[in-house]
Amino acid sequence: MHHSIDLVDIHVKLGDVQVLSGVSVEAKPYEFVSLVGSNGAGKTTLLKVANGMVRPFKGMVKMLGHELWPAGNGNGNGVRKEVGFVPQRSISNRFPMRVNEAVLMGRYGKIGLMRKPSRQDWDKTREALEIVGMTGFANKLIHELSGGEQQKVALARALAQEPSILLLDEPTTYLDADSQSEIMETIYTMHQQRGLTTLLVTHDPHWVEQYSNKVYLLKDGKSHLIRQKA
Amino acid sequence: MSWIESLSYPFMQHALVAVLFAGIAFPLVGVFIISLNLIPLRFAMMHIALLGGAVGLFVQVDPMLMGLLFCALSALTLGPISEKTKISLGTISGYFMTLTLALSFILFYKGNINVIQAFSILWGNIFALTAWDLVIIGIVSLFVLSMIFLFFKEIQAILFDREIALAVGIPEKSLYYLIVFMLGLTIAVSMRMIGALLVDAFVLLPAMAAGMIARSLKQSFILSSFFGLVSGMSGLYLSFRFDMPASSTIILVASFIIALCMLFGRRLVSHAKA
Ligand SMILES: Nc1ncnc2c1ncn2[C@@H]1O[C@H](COP(=O)(O)OP(=O)(O)OP(=O)(O)O)[C@@H](O)[C@H]1O
Ligand SMILES: [Mg+2]
Repeated sequence: MHHSIDLVDIHVKLGDVQVLSGVSVEAKPYEFVSLVGSNGAGKTTLLKVANGMVRPFKGMVKMLGHELWPAGNGNGNGVRKEVGFVPQRSISNRFPMRVNEAVLMGRYGKIGLMRKPSRQDWDKTREALEIVGMTGFANKLIHELSGGEQQKVALARALAQEPSILLLDEPTTYLDADSQSEIMETIYTMHQQRGLTTLLVTHDPHWVEQYSNKVYLLKDGKSHLIRQKA
Repeated sequence: MSWIESLSYPFMQHALVAVLFAGIAFPLVGVFIISLNLIPLRFAMMHIALLGGAVGLFVQVDPMLMGLLFCALSALTLGPISEKTKISLGTISGYFMTLTLALSFILFYKGNINVIQAFSILWGNIFALTAWDLVIIGIVSLFVLSMIFLFFKEIQAILFDREIALAVGIPEKSLYYLIVFMLGLTIAVSMRMIGALLVDAFVLLPAMAAGMIARSLKQSFILSSFFGLVSGMSGLYLSFRFDMPASSTIILVASFIIALCMLFGRRLVSHAKA
Protein backbone atom coordinates (compact mmCIF):
# COMPACT_ATOMS: atom_id res chain seq x y z
CA MET A 1 0.00 0.00 0.00
CA HIS A 2 1.10 3.56 -0.70
CA HIS A 3 0.90 5.53 2.50
CA SER A 4 -0.05 8.61 0.58
CA ILE A 5 -2.62 11.36 0.83
CA ASP A 6 -4.08 12.65 -2.44
CA LEU A 7 -6.66 15.39 -2.30
CA VAL A 8 -7.41 16.82 -5.72
CA ASP A 9 -9.57 19.86 -6.52
CA ILE A 10 -11.73 19.42 -3.42
CA HIS A 11 -14.99 21.40 -3.24
CA VAL A 12 -17.01 21.32 -0.02
CA LYS A 13 -20.19 23.03 1.06
CA LEU A 14 -21.26 23.05 4.71
CA GLY A 15 -24.84 24.21 4.94
CA ASP A 16 -25.01 27.17 2.56
CA VAL A 17 -21.36 28.09 2.91
CA GLN A 18 -18.89 26.95 0.34
CA VAL A 19 -15.88 26.28 2.53
CA LEU A 20 -13.49 24.74 0.03
CA SER A 21 -13.52 25.57 -3.66
CA GLY A 22 -10.70 23.79 -5.37
CA VAL A 23 -8.19 22.60 -2.79
CA SER A 24 -5.42 20.20 -3.71
CA VAL A 25 -3.06 18.75 -1.13
CA GLU A 26 -0.66 15.92 -1.67
CA ALA A 27 1.51 14.04 0.80
CA LYS A 28 3.77 11.32 -0.56
CA PRO A 29 4.65 8.33 1.61
CA TYR A 30 6.70 9.31 4.70
CA GLU A 31 6.27 13.02 4.07
CA PHE A 32 5.48 15.49 6.83
CA VAL A 33 3.09 18.08 5.44
CA SER A 34 1.77 21.14 7.26
CA LEU A 35 -1.42 23.03 6.64
CA VAL A 36 -1.75 26.64 7.77
CA GLY A 37 -4.41 29.30 7.39
CA SER A 38 -6.52 31.69 9.39
CA ASN A 39 -9.49 30.71 11.56
CA GLY A 40 -12.34 29.44 9.45
CA ALA A 41 -10.13 28.83 6.41
CA GLY A 42 -11.30 25.23 6.22
CA LYS A 43 -8.36 23.32 7.67
CA THR A 44 -10.43 21.11 9.96
CA THR A 45 -12.89 20.52 7.14
CA LEU A 46 -10.09 19.38 4.84
CA LEU A 47 -8.77 16.88 7.40
CA LYS A 48 -12.27 15.44 7.70
CA VAL A 49 -12.49 15.18 3.94
CA ALA A 50 -9.21 13.26 4.02
CA ASN A 51 -10.54 10.54 6.30
CA GLY A 52 -13.95 10.37 4.66
CA MET A 53 -15.96 12.08 7.39
CA VAL A 54 -16.98 15.02 5.19
CA ARG A 55 -18.10 14.50 1.59
CA PRO A 56 -16.82 16.82 -1.11
CA PHE A 57 -19.36 17.57 -3.84
CA LYS A 58 -16.56 17.76 -6.36
CA GLY A 59 -12.98 16.53 -6.47
CA MET A 60 -11.12 13.34 -5.69
CA VAL A 61 -9.97 11.86 -2.38
CA LYS A 62 -7.42 9.10 -2.48
CA MET A 63 -5.93 7.71 0.73
CA LEU A 64 -3.38 4.88 0.92
CA GLY A 65 -3.95 4.34 -2.78
CA HIS A 66 -7.65 3.74 -2.17
CA GLU A 67 -10.11 6.13 -3.78
CA LEU A 68 -12.58 7.29 -1.13
CA TRP A 69 -14.35 9.78 -3.34
CA PRO A 70 -15.98 9.77 -5.83
CA ALA A 71 -15.30 6.09 -6.64
CA GLY A 72 -15.45 4.69 -3.10
CA ASN A 73 -18.65 6.63 -2.45
CA GLY A 74 -17.36 7.68 0.95
CA ASN A 75 -17.13 4.09 2.16
CA GLY A 76 -14.13 4.61 4.37
CA ASN A 77 -14.11 2.30 7.39
CA GLY A 78 -11.28 0.23 5.95
CA VAL A 79 -9.23 3.36 5.32
CA ARG A 80 -10.06 4.95 8.67
CA LYS A 81 -8.59 1.94 10.50
CA GLU A 82 -5.25 2.97 8.96
CA VAL A 83 -5.65 6.70 9.60
CA GLY A 84 -5.03 8.18 13.03
CA PHE A 85 -7.08 11.33 13.61
CA VAL A 86 -6.45 13.76 16.46
CA PRO A 87 -9.37 16.20 16.56
CA GLN A 88 -9.03 19.86 17.42
CA ARG A 89 -11.62 20.10 20.16
CA SER A 90 -11.36 18.42 23.52
CA ILE A 91 -14.03 16.22 25.08
CA SER A 92 -17.12 18.20 25.95
CA ASN A 93 -19.40 15.61 27.54
CA ARG A 94 -19.15 13.99 30.94
CA PHE A 95 -19.43 10.42 29.75
CA PRO A 96 -17.70 8.24 32.35
CA MET A 97 -14.61 6.68 30.84
CA ARG A 98 -11.12 6.02 32.06
CA VAL A 99 -8.07 7.32 30.23
CA ASN A 100 -6.78 3.85 29.35
CA GLU A 101 -10.18 2.87 27.91
CA ALA A 102 -10.23 6.07 25.86
CA VAL A 103 -6.83 5.16 24.42
CA LEU A 104 -7.73 1.52 23.88
CA MET A 105 -10.57 2.82 21.73
CA GLY A 106 -7.99 3.58 19.05
CA ARG A 107 -7.72 -0.18 18.57
CA TYR A 108 -11.46 -0.85 18.25
CA GLY A 109 -11.65 -0.51 14.47
CA LYS A 110 -8.78 -2.91 13.93
CA ILE A 111 -10.02 -5.40 16.53
CA GLY A 112 -13.27 -5.70 14.61
CA LEU A 113 -16.88 -6.30 15.60
CA MET A 114 -17.85 -8.82 18.28
CA ARG A 115 -14.26 -9.33 19.43
CA LYS A 116 -12.72 -8.45 22.75
CA PRO A 117 -9.46 -6.49 23.06
CA SER A 118 -6.52 -8.86 23.50
CA ARG A 119 -3.55 -8.48 25.81
CA GLN A 120 -1.62 -7.10 22.83
CA ASP A 121 -4.19 -4.34 22.44
CA TRP A 122 -3.73 -3.41 26.08
CA ASP A 123 0.06 -3.49 25.68
CA LYS A 124 -0.18 -1.05 22.79
CA THR A 125 -2.45 1.14 24.89
CA ARG A 126 0.08 1.26 27.72
CA GLU A 127 2.90 1.93 25.30
CA ALA A 128 1.02 4.83 23.71
CA LEU A 129 0.27 6.36 27.11
CA GLU A 130 3.95 6.11 27.97
CA ILE A 131 5.00 7.80 24.73
CA VAL A 132 2.87 10.87 25.49
CA GLY A 133 3.89 10.83 29.16
CA MET A 134 0.44 10.08 30.56
CA THR A 135 1.06 6.70 32.21
CA GLY A 136 0.22 8.09 35.63
CA PHE A 137 -3.25 9.10 34.42
CA ALA A 138 -4.32 5.69 33.09
CA ASN A 139 -7.07 5.14 35.64
CA LYS A 140 -8.38 8.71 35.87
CA LEU A 141 -11.73 9.66 34.37
CA ILE A 142 -11.16 11.49 31.13
CA HIS A 143 -13.57 14.35 31.77
CA GLU A 144 -11.66 15.12 34.95
CA LEU A 145 -8.50 15.92 32.98
CA SER A 146 -7.38 19.35 31.81
CA GLY A 147 -7.67 20.34 28.14
CA GLY A 148 -3.97 19.75 27.54
CA GLU A 149 -4.03 16.36 29.22
CA GLN A 150 -7.03 15.37 27.11
CA GLN A 151 -5.14 16.40 24.01
CA LYS A 152 -2.27 14.10 24.96
CA VAL A 153 -4.77 11.29 25.46
CA ALA A 154 -6.19 11.94 21.99
CA LEU A 155 -2.69 11.67 20.53
CA ALA A 156 -2.11 8.45 22.51
CA ARG A 157 -5.33 7.05 21.02
CA ALA A 158 -4.10 7.78 17.51
CA LEU A 159 -0.71 6.18 18.29
CA ALA A 160 -2.30 3.08 19.84
CA GLN A 161 -4.20 2.66 16.60
CA GLU A 162 -0.86 2.11 14.79
CA PRO A 163 -1.97 3.90 11.64
CA SER A 164 0.03 4.50 8.47
CA ILE A 165 -1.24 8.06 8.18
CA LEU A 166 -1.58 10.65 10.93
CA LEU A 167 -3.99 13.58 10.65
CA LEU A 168 -3.34 16.10 13.41
CA ASP A 169 -5.62 19.09 13.96
CA GLU A 170 -3.71 21.60 16.07
CA PRO A 171 -2.60 18.88 18.49
CA THR A 172 -0.85 21.28 20.85
CA THR A 173 -3.32 24.18 21.23
CA TYR A 174 -4.10 23.50 24.88
CA LEU A 175 -0.54 22.69 25.90
CA ASP A 176 1.91 24.87 27.82
CA ALA A 177 5.13 25.92 26.08
CA ASP A 178 7.26 23.06 27.44
CA SER A 179 4.67 20.40 26.65
CA GLN A 180 4.24 21.89 23.20
CA SER A 181 7.82 21.25 22.21
CA GLU A 182 7.82 17.89 23.97
CA ILE A 183 4.71 16.68 22.16
CA MET A 184 5.78 18.09 18.80
CA GLU A 185 9.09 16.29 19.15
CA THR A 186 7.26 13.11 20.13
CA ILE A 187 5.08 13.43 17.04
CA TYR A 188 8.08 13.93 14.80
CA THR A 189 9.95 11.00 16.35
CA MET A 190 6.91 8.75 15.82
CA HIS A 191 6.59 10.04 12.27
CA GLN A 192 10.15 8.95 11.52
CA GLN A 193 10.38 5.78 13.61
CA ARG A 194 7.11 4.36 12.39
CA GLY A 195 7.43 5.57 8.83
CA LEU A 196 4.21 7.57 8.87
CA THR A 197 2.76 10.05 6.43
CA THR A 198 1.68 13.04 8.47
CA LEU A 199 -0.65 15.95 7.76
CA LEU A 200 -0.48 18.57 10.50
CA VAL A 201 -2.72 21.59 10.96
CA THR A 202 -0.92 24.22 12.99
CA HIS A 203 -0.63 27.93 13.68
CA ASP A 204 2.92 27.63 14.98
CA PRO A 205 5.47 28.89 12.42
CA HIS A 206 8.34 27.39 14.39
CA TRP A 207 7.28 23.78 13.84
CA VAL A 208 6.28 24.46 10.29
CA GLU A 209 9.83 25.62 9.55
CA GLN A 210 11.57 22.86 11.38
CA TYR A 211 9.83 19.67 10.27
CA SER A 212 7.71 20.09 7.18
CA ASN A 213 8.58 18.72 3.78
CA LYS A 214 5.79 20.88 2.41
CA VAL A 215 3.58 23.65 3.69
CA TYR A 216 0.18 24.49 2.25
CA LEU A 217 -1.73 27.66 2.96
CA LEU A 218 -5.53 27.59 2.83
CA LYS A 219 -7.06 30.90 1.85
CA ASP A 220 -10.40 31.90 0.37
CA GLY A 221 -11.27 28.27 -0.25
CA LYS A 222 -8.11 27.59 -2.26
CA SER A 223 -4.80 25.93 -1.41
CA HIS A 224 -1.37 27.37 -2.07
CA LEU A 225 1.86 25.42 -1.79
CA ILE A 226 3.96 28.04 0.00
CA ARG A 227 7.03 26.07 0.93
CA GLN A 228 8.74 22.92 -0.22
CA LYS A 229 11.98 21.42 1.04
CA ALA A 230 14.30 20.32 -1.65
CA MET B 1 -56.54 -10.67 48.66
CA SER B 2 -52.96 -10.89 49.90
CA TRP B 3 -49.86 -10.26 47.79
CA ILE B 4 -49.11 -14.01 47.69
CA GLU B 5 -52.66 -14.86 46.70
CA SER B 6 -52.59 -12.26 43.98
CA LEU B 7 -49.66 -14.07 42.39
CA SER B 8 -51.98 -16.89 41.39
CA TYR B 9 -53.85 -14.57 39.04
CA PRO B 10 -52.67 -14.49 35.42
CA PHE B 11 -52.83 -10.68 35.21
CA MET B 12 -50.43 -10.43 38.13
CA GLN B 13 -48.11 -13.08 36.76
CA HIS B 14 -48.07 -11.29 33.43
CA ALA B 15 -47.27 -7.99 35.09
CA LEU B 16 -44.40 -9.59 37.02
CA VAL B 17 -42.89 -11.24 33.98
CA ALA B 18 -43.17 -7.97 32.05
CA VAL B 19 -41.46 -6.01 34.80
CA LEU B 20 -38.76 -8.65 35.08
CA PHE B 21 -37.87 -8.30 31.40
CA ALA B 22 -38.55 -4.63 30.87
CA GLY B 23 -37.11 -3.56 34.22
CA ILE B 24 -33.77 -5.01 33.20
CA ALA B 25 -33.68 -4.18 29.50
CA PHE B 26 -35.50 -0.87 29.02
CA PRO B 27 -33.38 1.31 31.32
CA LEU B 28 -30.41 0.31 29.15
CA VAL B 29 -32.10 2.23 26.36
CA GLY B 30 -32.41 5.12 28.81
CA VAL B 31 -28.61 5.19 28.95
CA PHE B 32 -28.62 5.68 25.15
CA ILE B 33 -31.22 8.44 25.33
CA ILE B 34 -29.24 10.37 27.92
CA SER B 35 -25.81 9.93 26.34
CA LEU B 36 -26.94 10.72 22.79
CA ASN B 37 -29.54 13.36 23.57
CA LEU B 38 -32.40 11.48 21.95
CA ILE B 39 -35.32 12.74 24.01
CA PRO B 40 -37.12 14.36 21.00
CA LEU B 41 -37.06 11.00 19.26
CA ARG B 42 -38.96 9.50 22.13
CA PHE B 43 -41.73 12.11 21.70
CA ALA B 44 -41.88 11.46 17.98
CA MET B 45 -42.27 7.73 18.66
CA MET B 46 -45.20 8.40 20.92
CA HIS B 47 -47.05 10.26 18.15
CA ILE B 48 -46.07 7.73 15.53
CA ALA B 49 -47.58 5.03 17.72
CA LEU B 50 -50.76 7.10 17.87
CA LEU B 51 -50.87 7.32 14.07
CA GLY B 52 -50.31 3.56 13.86
CA GLY B 53 -53.19 3.05 16.25
CA ALA B 54 -55.42 5.38 14.23
CA VAL B 55 -54.60 3.49 11.03
CA GLY B 56 -55.29 0.23 12.86
CA LEU B 57 -58.72 1.42 13.96
CA PHE B 58 -59.39 2.80 10.49
CA VAL B 59 -58.65 -0.47 8.68
CA GLN B 60 -59.82 -2.58 11.62
CA VAL B 61 -56.54 -4.27 12.51
CA ASP B 62 -55.35 -4.53 16.13
CA PRO B 63 -54.34 -0.90 16.83
CA MET B 64 -51.61 -1.91 19.26
CA LEU B 65 -49.93 -4.11 16.68
CA MET B 66 -50.20 -1.32 14.11
CA GLY B 67 -48.68 1.13 16.58
CA LEU B 68 -45.73 -1.19 17.14
CA LEU B 69 -45.30 -1.75 13.43
CA PHE B 70 -45.30 1.99 12.71
CA CYS B 71 -42.74 2.62 15.45
CA ALA B 72 -40.50 -0.16 14.21
CA LEU B 73 -40.64 1.14 10.64
CA SER B 74 -39.93 4.73 11.60
CA ALA B 75 -37.18 3.68 13.98
CA LEU B 76 -35.56 1.95 11.02
CA THR B 77 -35.88 4.97 8.71
CA LEU B 78 -35.52 8.07 10.93
CA GLY B 79 -31.76 7.61 11.45
CA PRO B 80 -30.93 7.28 7.75
CA ILE B 81 -33.32 10.12 6.81
CA SER B 82 -31.60 12.42 9.28
CA GLU B 83 -28.15 11.45 7.92
CA LYS B 84 -29.15 11.91 4.28
CA THR B 85 -30.88 15.24 4.73
CA LYS B 86 -28.26 16.45 7.24
CA ILE B 87 -31.10 17.58 9.48
CA SER B 88 -30.68 16.67 13.12
CA LEU B 89 -32.63 13.76 14.51
CA GLY B 90 -34.26 16.19 16.95
CA THR B 91 -35.62 18.41 14.17
CA ILE B 92 -36.76 15.44 12.08
CA SER B 93 -38.48 14.04 15.15
CA GLY B 94 -40.33 17.32 15.71
CA TYR B 95 -41.42 17.32 12.09
CA PHE B 96 -42.75 13.78 12.29
CA MET B 97 -44.41 14.47 15.59
CA THR B 98 -46.59 17.22 14.12
CA LEU B 99 -47.17 15.48 10.81
CA THR B 100 -48.31 12.22 12.38
CA LEU B 101 -50.58 14.03 14.79
CA ALA B 102 -52.26 15.86 11.88
CA LEU B 103 -52.65 12.62 9.91
CA SER B 104 -54.09 10.86 12.96
CA PHE B 105 -56.77 13.51 13.37
CA ILE B 106 -57.72 13.28 9.70
CA LEU B 107 -58.15 9.53 10.14
CA PHE B 108 -60.21 9.99 13.32
CA TYR B 109 -62.47 12.37 11.45
CA LYS B 110 -62.80 10.39 8.23
CA GLY B 111 -63.15 7.06 9.98
CA ASN B 112 -65.58 8.30 12.59
CA ILE B 113 -63.22 6.93 15.21
CA ASN B 114 -63.80 7.51 18.86
CA VAL B 115 -60.85 9.68 19.84
CA ILE B 116 -60.79 8.35 23.38
CA GLN B 117 -60.50 4.84 22.03
CA ALA B 118 -57.61 5.87 19.80
CA PHE B 119 -55.75 7.63 22.57
CA SER B 120 -56.11 4.58 24.79
CA ILE B 121 -53.15 3.27 22.81
CA LEU B 122 -51.10 5.80 24.69
CA TRP B 123 -52.42 4.80 28.06
CA GLY B 124 -51.12 1.32 28.63
CA ASN B 125 -52.01 -0.87 31.55
CA ILE B 126 -49.53 -3.18 33.15
CA PHE B 127 -52.34 -5.37 34.51
CA ALA B 128 -53.93 -5.86 31.10
CA LEU B 129 -51.03 -7.56 29.34
CA THR B 130 -51.82 -10.60 27.23
CA ALA B 131 -49.51 -13.56 26.68
CA TRP B 132 -48.85 -12.13 23.22
CA ASP B 133 -47.73 -8.82 24.80
CA LEU B 134 -45.33 -10.74 27.00
CA VAL B 135 -43.80 -12.45 24.00
CA ILE B 136 -43.21 -9.07 22.36
CA ILE B 137 -41.78 -7.57 25.55
CA GLY B 138 -39.53 -10.61 25.95
CA ILE B 139 -38.26 -10.47 22.38
CA VAL B 140 -37.53 -6.74 22.50
CA SER B 141 -35.79 -7.09 25.87
CA LEU B 142 -33.60 -9.96 24.74
CA PHE B 143 -32.83 -8.12 21.51
CA VAL B 144 -31.64 -5.03 23.40
CA LEU B 145 -29.60 -7.10 25.85
CA SER B 146 -27.91 -9.17 23.17
CA MET B 147 -27.05 -6.16 20.99
CA ILE B 148 -25.41 -4.46 23.94
CA PHE B 149 -23.55 -7.63 24.78
CA LEU B 150 -22.35 -8.19 21.20
CA PHE B 151 -21.40 -4.60 20.37
CA PHE B 152 -20.42 -3.33 23.78
CA LYS B 153 -17.10 -1.80 22.83
CA GLU B 154 -18.47 -0.08 19.73
CA ILE B 155 -21.48 1.25 21.63
CA GLN B 156 -19.15 2.53 24.32
CA ALA B 157 -17.16 4.43 21.71
CA ILE B 158 -20.29 5.90 20.09
CA LEU B 159 -21.77 7.07 23.38
CA PHE B 160 -18.42 8.61 24.30
CA ASP B 161 -17.96 10.51 21.04
CA ARG B 162 -19.56 9.67 17.70
CA GLU B 163 -16.87 11.40 15.69
CA ILE B 164 -14.02 9.57 17.39
CA ALA B 165 -15.86 6.26 17.01
CA LEU B 166 -16.13 6.92 13.28
CA ALA B 167 -12.52 8.06 13.04
CA VAL B 168 -11.05 4.86 14.48
CA GLY B 169 -12.83 2.78 11.83
CA ILE B 170 -15.96 1.57 13.63
CA PRO B 171 -19.08 1.22 11.40
CA GLU B 172 -20.51 4.07 13.41
CA LYS B 173 -23.51 4.87 11.22
CA SER B 174 -24.96 1.37 11.11
CA LEU B 175 -24.55 0.98 14.85
CA TYR B 176 -26.09 4.37 15.52
CA TYR B 177 -29.10 3.35 13.43
CA LEU B 178 -29.27 0.15 15.44
CA ILE B 179 -29.40 2.20 18.63
CA VAL B 180 -32.20 4.37 17.22
CA PHE B 181 -34.05 1.22 16.19
CA MET B 182 -33.78 -0.30 19.68
CA LEU B 183 -34.99 2.97 21.12
CA GLY B 184 -38.08 3.04 18.89
CA LEU B 185 -39.04 -0.54 19.71
CA THR B 186 -38.52 -0.05 23.41
CA ILE B 187 -40.60 3.11 23.53
CA ALA B 188 -43.45 1.47 21.62
CA VAL B 189 -43.51 -1.57 23.87
CA SER B 190 -43.20 0.33 27.10
CA MET B 191 -46.08 2.59 26.06
CA ARG B 192 -48.23 -0.52 26.05
CA MET B 193 -46.97 -1.45 29.51
CA ILE B 194 -46.96 1.78 31.38
CA GLY B 195 -48.57 4.45 29.17
CA ALA B 196 -46.98 7.07 26.98
CA LEU B 197 -46.90 9.79 29.59
CA LEU B 198 -44.90 7.66 31.97
CA VAL B 199 -42.54 5.98 29.53
CA ASP B 200 -39.80 8.53 30.14
CA ALA B 201 -39.91 7.78 33.78
CA PHE B 202 -39.69 4.05 33.35
CA VAL B 203 -36.98 4.14 30.71
CA LEU B 204 -35.10 7.26 31.79
CA LEU B 205 -35.21 7.50 35.58
CA PRO B 206 -33.16 4.37 36.36
CA ALA B 207 -30.59 5.45 33.76
CA MET B 208 -30.44 8.94 35.25
CA ALA B 209 -29.89 7.50 38.71
CA ALA B 210 -27.15 5.23 37.38
CA GLY B 211 -25.51 8.14 35.57
CA MET B 212 -25.12 9.97 38.86
CA ILE B 213 -22.88 7.38 40.44
CA ALA B 214 -21.45 5.24 37.62
CA ARG B 215 -17.73 5.48 36.88
CA SER B 216 -17.88 3.57 33.57
CA LEU B 217 -20.39 2.62 30.90
CA LYS B 218 -20.50 -0.94 32.20
CA GLN B 219 -21.47 0.39 35.61
CA SER B 220 -24.10 2.66 34.02
CA PHE B 221 -25.67 -0.30 32.27
CA ILE B 222 -25.57 -2.64 35.25
CA LEU B 223 -26.82 -0.05 37.73
CA SER B 224 -29.63 1.18 35.48
CA SER B 225 -30.87 -2.38 35.02
CA PHE B 226 -30.63 -2.98 38.73
CA PHE B 227 -32.54 0.22 39.54
CA GLY B 228 -35.10 -0.57 36.84
CA LEU B 229 -35.72 -4.01 38.28
CA VAL B 230 -35.87 -2.77 41.86
CA SER B 231 -38.24 0.10 41.09
CA GLY B 232 -40.40 -2.10 38.84
CA MET B 233 -40.74 -4.93 41.31
CA SER B 234 -41.13 -2.90 44.46
CA GLY B 235 -43.41 -0.42 42.66
CA LEU B 236 -45.64 -3.28 41.63
CA TYR B 237 -45.73 -4.63 45.15
CA LEU B 238 -46.39 -1.26 46.79
CA SER B 239 -49.09 -0.36 44.30
CA PHE B 240 -50.83 -3.58 45.19
CA ARG B 241 -50.25 -3.20 48.90
CA PHE B 242 -51.54 0.39 49.10
CA ASP B 243 -53.97 0.26 46.19
CA MET B 244 -52.30 2.87 44.00
CA PRO B 245 -51.86 3.03 40.21
CA ALA B 246 -48.95 0.75 39.31
CA SER B 247 -47.16 3.04 36.86
CA SER B 248 -47.20 5.99 39.24
CA THR B 249 -45.95 3.86 42.10
CA ILE B 250 -43.09 2.48 40.01
CA ILE B 251 -42.12 6.04 39.19
CA LEU B 252 -42.30 7.10 42.82
CA VAL B 253 -39.83 4.38 43.72
CA ALA B 254 -37.57 5.31 40.80
CA SER B 255 -37.64 8.96 41.86
CA PHE B 256 -36.73 7.95 45.38
CA ILE B 257 -33.74 6.01 44.02
CA ILE B 258 -32.68 9.09 42.07
CA ALA B 259 -32.83 11.20 45.21
CA LEU B 260 -30.63 8.66 47.01
CA CYS B 261 -28.15 8.63 44.14
CA MET B 262 -28.02 12.42 44.16
CA LEU B 263 -27.07 12.42 47.82
CA PHE B 264 -24.64 9.56 47.48
CA GLY B 265 -23.25 10.81 44.16
CA ARG B 266 -22.52 14.21 45.59
CA ARG B 267 -20.68 12.62 48.46
CA LEU B 268 -18.58 10.66 45.97
CA VAL B 269 -17.69 13.86 44.17
CA SER B 270 -16.70 15.74 47.31
CA HIS B 271 -14.55 12.83 48.44
CA ALA B 272 -12.82 12.85 45.11
CA LYS B 273 -12.06 16.54 45.49
CA ALA B 274 -10.83 16.30 49.07
N1 LIG C 1 -21.38 22.20 10.25
C1 LIG C 1 -21.13 23.38 9.65
N2 LIG C 1 -22.12 24.03 8.99
C2 LIG C 1 -21.87 25.22 8.38
N3 LIG C 1 -20.67 25.81 8.38
C3 LIG C 1 -19.66 25.21 9.03
C4 LIG C 1 -19.83 23.95 9.70
N4 LIG C 1 -18.65 23.60 10.24
C5 LIG C 1 -17.79 24.59 9.93
N5 LIG C 1 -18.38 25.55 9.20
C6 LIG C 1 -17.74 26.76 8.65
O1 LIG C 1 -16.79 26.34 7.72
C7 LIG C 1 -15.65 27.18 7.77
C8 LIG C 1 -14.39 26.34 7.92
O2 LIG C 1 -14.38 25.71 9.19
P1 LIG C 1 -13.13 24.89 9.71
O3 LIG C 1 -13.46 24.34 11.03
O4 LIG C 1 -12.72 23.93 8.66
O5 LIG C 1 -12.03 26.04 9.83
P2 LIG C 1 -10.54 25.94 10.40
O6 LIG C 1 -9.63 26.38 9.31
O7 LIG C 1 -10.29 24.60 10.99
O8 LIG C 1 -10.55 27.06 11.51
P3 LIG C 1 -9.79 27.10 12.95
O9 LIG C 1 -8.41 27.62 12.71
O10 LIG C 1 -10.59 28.09 13.72
O11 LIG C 1 -9.83 25.74 13.54
C9 LIG C 1 -15.89 28.14 8.90
O12 LIG C 1 -16.28 29.38 8.33
C10 LIG C 1 -17.00 27.54 9.68
O13 LIG C 1 -17.81 28.54 10.24
MG1 LIG D 1 -9.98 23.91 12.84
